[in-house]
Amino acid sequence: MQIYDDYKDHADFLTIYIREAHPLDEWRMKSNEKDKDNVCYVQPKNLEQRVAIANDFTQRFKFPVPFGIDEMTDAANDAYAAWPERLYILDERGRISYKGGNGPFQYDPKEVRAWLAQRYGEVKHPEPAPEKKS
Amino acid sequence: MNRILLWTGVSFGGLVVLAYIGLSIMAGGPKDAIQMLRFALPHMHRGKLKVGDGAPDAQLVALDGATRFHVRERNHGRPLVLVFGSFT
Repeated sequence: MQIYDDYKDHADFLTIYIREAHPLDEWRMKSNEKDKDNVCYVQPKNLEQRVAIANDFTQRFKFPVPFGIDEMTDAANDAYAAWPERLYILDERGRISYKGGNGPFQYDPKEVRAWLAQRYGEVKHPEPAPEKKS
Repeated sequence: MNRILLWTGVSFGGLVVLAYIGLSIMAGGPKDAIQMLRFALPHMHRGKLKVGDGAPDAQLVALDGATRFHVRERNHGRPLVLVFGSFT
């Protein structure tokens, strides 16, 4: 997660794992099965199952961002209307400073980057070198 | 009168069919459209939170499955970026 690496010295980040969006027993996506990562789970029915999937995710991708798991009551999801994916920024006083749209169509990490860049400056990355023609 | 009712019914039926076709294209297929209506729509909300509102607190579970903490505990002195999502 490039934004995390770029701005972790200025802002805190917290990933919150919520109920699955496309589990096998609900609205399954063929792309999840074809995907090389073979992301196939049923919707967790208890906290142990939810924790197991979250751990699989963080370990598979060596996910560096601090992580929390929503309780089975979906309290965090409900409070933030987060499903299936959503981004927020809370300011230093605990107020909502940015509210992203519902994913996947309105999920836009570039807006978070722009918010952070406006406050802490833009972090530029070198353009990848063009491939040499043989 | 009967003709008006007939055409109203036909028009409504046509709109339902068109909506279903559109939903099927968006969701990925006819079966996906049904699953989307059944499983996705009940959970998808715009939410009432607005920029400037106090952020709601919620209890979360750590990856060890036992430790609990609150969103608010992670929000002091610096902005906090919340990334909600799942694996699938």
